[in-house]
Amino acid sequence: MTLQTCVSFELKNSLGELSTLCEKLERIGEVLGIPRRLLFEINLALDELFTNIISYGFADTFEHIIRVRISAENDLLTVVLEDDGIPFNPVERLSPELPCTLEECKVGGLGIHLVKNLMDEVVYSRCGNKNVLTLKKTIEKN
Amino acid sequence: MEIIEEKRGELSTFKLQGRLDSNTSQVFEKRIFDAMADGTKNVVIDFKNLDYISSAGLRVILKATKALKRENGKILLCAMQDYVKEVFEIAGFDSFLPIVPTLDDALKSM
Repeated sequence: MTLQTCVSFELKNSLGELSTLCEKLERIGEVLGIPRRLLFEINLALDELFTNIISYGFADTFEHIIRVRISAENDLLTVVLEDDGIPFNPVERLSPELPCTLEECKVGGLGIHLVKNLMDEVVYSRCGNKNVLTLKKTIEKN
Repeated sequence: MEIIEEKRGELSTFKLQGRLDSNTSQVFEKRIFDAMADGTKNVVIDFKNLDYISSAGLRVILKATKALKRENGKILLCAMQDYVKEVFEIAGFDSFLPIVPTLDDALKSM
């Protein structure tokens, strides 16, 4: 029988919560035995998605809760990010053409480009009034 | 994040410690542009103690690079941890931004 461990937490829609995200991930990394490099990549992917959500996701100025659920089963790590913002599918956004020169380099879409490259799989779905993003990544020990 | 700044003539060296993300990138941006207003033409950024960078951090470095180039200045990045370097590579920034192994290497080529 495989062991599945699942940890979840909530963040408010404020940039200051980025440090909460980092602290939570440090602890979850210990609980689930996630190698440091992978923990960095997950932190970065969630940071980019979270920053996008709170910058563009809400049409009002009220407090919103963004839920994060992380589970590990064998060598597969699954991260689910859920918010009640306006419908937005980041997966649909095309990655920017990678720049070769300084002049060509533009910054739009860079965050999503990082997420797609750091994770093995990124899937979006709209469930009721919620955006649900599921990220998958294989845990490579060492 | 902590920023240590050393200025020698037209060269400013910024040693970053901690995390460069949407929370801290504006502070760093201000420090670089303040230095440029104060006569800095060349910049070295030491990443040795930087644990984390997001696209907000990349954006500041891109903006500074473009501004320095307009002034015919130069920028060099050094001593990155491998997972920080990976972020620069995925973003394609390593194709136009020189990244050298150590602070000594950076200072020698300035």
